[in-house]
Amino acid sequence: MYGCVNGVTVIGVRGHLVAVEAHIGRGLPSLTLTGQPGAAVQDARDRIRPAVESARLEWPLRRIVVNLSPGNLRKDGPGLDLPVAMGVLAASRQAPAARLDGWAFAGELSLKGDLVPTPGVLSAAIAAGRSGLRGIVVPSGNAAEASLVDGLEVVGASALSDVVAYFRGGWTPPAPTESAPASVVSWSVDLSEVRGQAQARRALEVAAAGGHNLLMIGSPGAGKTMLARRLATILPALSRDEALEVTQLHSVAGLLPGGLVRERPFRAPHHTVSAAGLLGGGSSFLRPGEVSLAHHGVLFLDELTEFRRDAVEGLRQPLEDGRVVIIRMAGSAEFPARFTLVAAANPCPCGFLGDPARRCVCRDDRIQTYAAKLSGPLVDRIDIRLTVPRLTRHELLGETPGEPSAAVRDRVEAARERQRRRYADLGLSSNAQLPGPAIRRLSRATPAAHELLAGAVDRHGLTGRGFDRALKVARTIADLADDDHVGADHVVEALAYRSSGTTHRLEHVG
Amino acid sequence: MSAESSSRRSGTGTLTAPSPWPVWPDGFDATPADRRALLVLSALRGATPRALIPIANRVGSASGVLAEIAAGRVGSENDAAFARSLDPAEIGAAARRCGARFVTWGSPDYPAQLRHIHDPPAALYVQGRETSGSEVLVAVVGARRCTSLGREIASAIGHGLGAAGATVVSGAARGIDAAAHEGALEAGGATLAVLGTGLDVGYPVGGRRLVERIRAAGTLVAEYAPGTPPHPWHFPARNRIVAGLCCATVVVEGAVGSGSMITAEHAMEFGRDVYAVPGAVTNPLSAVPMQLIREGATMIRGAEDLVNDLGLDSALEHPVAPREVPSEAERKVLDRLAGPTLPDVVASALSVGVPEVVGTLMRLELRGLVRSVGGRYEATLAGTRAGRRTRGQTD
Repeated sequence: MYGCVNGVTVIGVRGHLVAVEAHIGRGLPSLTLTGQPGAAVQDARDRIRPAVESARLEWPLRRIVVNLSPGNLRKDGPGLDLPVAMGVLAASRQAPAARLDGWAFAGELSLKGDLVPTPGVLSAAIAAGRSGLRGIVVPSGNAAEASLVDGLEVVGASALSDVVAYFRGGWTPPAPTESAPASVVSWSVDLSEVRGQAQARRALEVAAAGGHNLLMIGSPGAGKTMLARRLATILPALSRDEALEVTQLHSVAGLLPGGLVRERPFRAPHHTVSAAGLLGGGSSFLRPGEVSLAHHGVLFLDELTEFRRDAVEGLRQPLEDGRVVIIRMAGSAEFPARFTLVAAANPCPCGFLGDPARRCVCRDDRIQTYAAKLSGPLVDRIDIRLTVPRLTRHELLGETPGEPSAAVRDRVEAARERQRRRYADLGLSSNAQLPGPAIRRLSRATPAAHELLAGAVDRHGLTGRGFDRALKVARTIADLADDDHVGADHVVEALAYRSSGTTHRLEHVG
Repeated sequence: MSAESSSRRSGTGTLTAPSPWPVWPDGFDATPADRRALLVLSALRGATPRALIPIANRVGSASGVLAEIAAGRVGSENDAAFARSLDPAEIGAAARRCGARFVTWGSPDYPAQLRHIHDPPAALYVQGRETSGSEVLVAVVGARRCTSLGREIASAIGHGLGAAGATVVSGAARGIDAAAHEGALEAGGATLAVLGTGLDVGYPVGGRRLVERIRAAGTLVAEYAPGTPPHPWHFPARNRIVAGLCCATVVVEGAVGSGSMITAEHAMEFGRDVYAVPGAVTNPLSAVPMQLIREGATMIRGAEDLVNDLGLDSALEHPVAPREVPSEAERKVLDRLAGPTLPDVVASALSVGVPEVVGTLMRLELRGLVRSVGGRYEATLAGTRAGRRTRGQTD
C-alpha cells in the first residue's frame, strides 16, 4: 500500500518541498526512513507511532518504509513529523489520499498526538505557496505566520486527529485570527527620553539616515546602551517585504511570538556569545545567529573589546555582503544579515580615560593594548565614531528632553527616499552601501568641501579610507538637509563623527 | 619666593656658604684609586649618599668607603659581594662606550648647585653637551598621565625657556616632562634630562626617541652606572637631582602623591624657587600645583609669566606659527569654552543648532584652536589667544 503527501524542510531560511512517500509492506512491524533524514527526523521515528495511536488511529503493524524525496537533499527539523504521519495514514487508507493532494503539511507531533508550535513554518508556507499548492496544514500556534502568504489556504490544527477529521470532512478549523495590521509601531522606548547628549542624538539620526554603522566610545554610565536601543526607533518603518524576511528569520529561530514582525529588531548579544551564536550555525540543524536575527534592524555589541576575536572577525562577511553563509558537513545554508552595527566600548580598560571628574588608573601599556583592540578590519567598516561623554549631574539637569523618535524618523525617511532615488540604477539603497570609488563619483561635493577634506588628509592624517567614510557621512548629512550638493558645512560635521577615543593616546585608532 | 631668585641664579659664585646638610669630605676622590672606587660605588644598590656620606667623613676617601662595604662592615651581603667582584675598568669602559664623562665630587665640572642639596651624588655620569656654569637651569616637571592642555602648557613653557636661553631640566618621563623637553628642543634651546637608570638603558621604553634627541642636542645625567635597570626607588632619588640642579622648579600638573610633589618639596627644601601652573579645582591633576600655590609657590599663567619672573630676556615670541583669526561665529563659540564644554551647552547658550555648533567646533579643531576631550571641547592655548586678541580688536 502506498501513499504520498507533501512536507517541507527548511534549509537556512528557505523552505524546500519534500515528497513524503510511505509504503506499507509485508514483514515484521518496523518504520524505516530513507532519503537523508537528519537527526531530528530520525527522532520522529519513535514519536510518530504513539502520536498516531493517541489520535485513536491505527498504526499498521507491518513493515513501513517512508522515503523523503528528493534524495539529494538533507532533511532536518521537527516539521516533518506531521507529513510522515499523514503519509503513513494515507498509505493505510485512514486518510483520503485524493484529498491530501495539493496540500503541504508541517508541524511537530507530541506523543499525545498534539501539534506543537514549530520553527520555520513561515518558510514552509512560502515554499508551499511558491510551488503552487492549494494550502498548508500547520500547528494552530503557527497559523498566524503561515497566513502571511498570499493565496494559500491555511489550516491551523491543534491535534493530529483534527487534521485527519478535516480531510474526512468532519472538522472545520477555526478561522485564523488575523491580527489587526497595526500600521503604527508602538515602541517601548523613545529618543525623547535621552537627556542631553545632543551630539550623540544627532549622530544616531545621521547613522539611521544613511544606514551607517556606529561606534560609541564612552565611560560607563555615559548612556551608550540607552542611545543604541533607541536607534531602532528612528529607522524607517519596515516595508512588507522586509517585515516578511524578518518574520521568516525569527520563525526559523523559533522566536516568533505571533504573526508579522513590524518592529525593527534590536539584538544585543552578550560579549560571551560564541561565533556560532553570533553568526549562525549549529551541528546539524543550522540556526540563524544574532546577526540574522538583527536583519533589517540593529545589532548592538556592548563592550566590543570583550567579544571573542573569532566572533568579531566573522562579522566582516555580513557587514560586506548583508548575508551569512554557513558551511557544515551537513550542508550549507545562507541567512540574510543586513543590519546596522552599533558597537560600544570604554575608552580604556578602567573606563575613565578622558573623563574630567574621574582619573583613569590604567597603565599605559594596557591602554595601548586596548586601543589596538579597537582598531582593525571591523572598526574600519564603521563610518561614524563618536565619543559619548559621561554627563555631570549639573549638565543633566540643564537639559530639556529632546525630540521624540517619530519626528526624527520623518527626517530619516525623507533622507532615505533621496538616497533610494539616487541609487535606483545601482541597486543600492543607502549611502553606507556605496563602495569607495562610487562615493567619490556620486557625492557631488562642492570644491570647498573637497578642499576641506584634502586639508584633513594633508594636515590631520586622514587616511584614504577615512576620506571615503567622511564623504559618505557628509553625503548623508546633505541628504538630511535636502541638499543636492555636499558642502563644506556637511563635511566639517562629518569629520566630527570620526572621533578616535578620548585623548592623544588613542589618536592612532582609525 | 621669586624675589630672591636673582641672587641665586647667577651661578657658582653666590653659593659659597657651606651646605646645611652633610656632604662628601674634600679630597675624598683625590686619587685614581678613589675614582675607581666611585665607579664601583655607582653600581651598588645600597650605596646611597645618605648611607655613605657619614662613612666617607669617617674614613676620608672613596676607596676607604668601598673597603668598608667589601669587608661587610657596611651595607648588605650582596653589596659586599659586588664591591669585591665588580671591575671598575669595565664600568669605566661601559661609560666610555656610551660617551659619558664621569664627574666626581671634587671635579670643577661638578654642578655647583648640587653641592647644596641633601644627599648629593658622589659622582655623575654626564653625556652630551657640556653645561657652562653660568646657565640658568629650570626644572619643568609634572604628571606623566597629563591632559592635552597640560602637555601644551608644558611645551609652551619649555619653548619659552629655550627661546630665552635657559636650560630646561626634567626627567624625560612621558607627559609633562617630555612636552617640556620637546618644547625646548623645538625652540633650539638647551635641555637636560636626569635619568633614573644607567645612561645606556633606554628607559622609559616609550620615550627612547626623546632620550635620543636629548642625547644628540642636550645633556643626559645619571648617578647610576651604565646598565643599571630602573628600580622604583631610583625615581624619587632622581627627582632630588632635578630639583638640586636648578634655580627654579615649575610644576604643571600632578595628582596627589605624585613625583612632581616630591620634586617641588626638594626644591623648597633646597631654597630654590617653585612655580606652579594652576588648573580647575575639580581636576585631580590640579592637586599638586594648587597645593604648592597655597604653600607659597608662585602662580604662573604660562611661559610669559615665568620668563618675566626669572628676569630672563623676555624677547619671547609665541610659538604659534601664523596667528589664526576666528570668524565672528567661531569667536562666539570660542567664548563659550571655559573649560571642557559639551556642544549641547554651547548650542543652547547661543541658541543655534547642535549640528551647526559641532561643525564650527570641528573647523576650529582643524585649525588647532580647539580640541576634543572625551566628547567635550576646550580651547587650546592658541585658541585662547585667538579669542582674546579678536576681542581686544572688536571692543
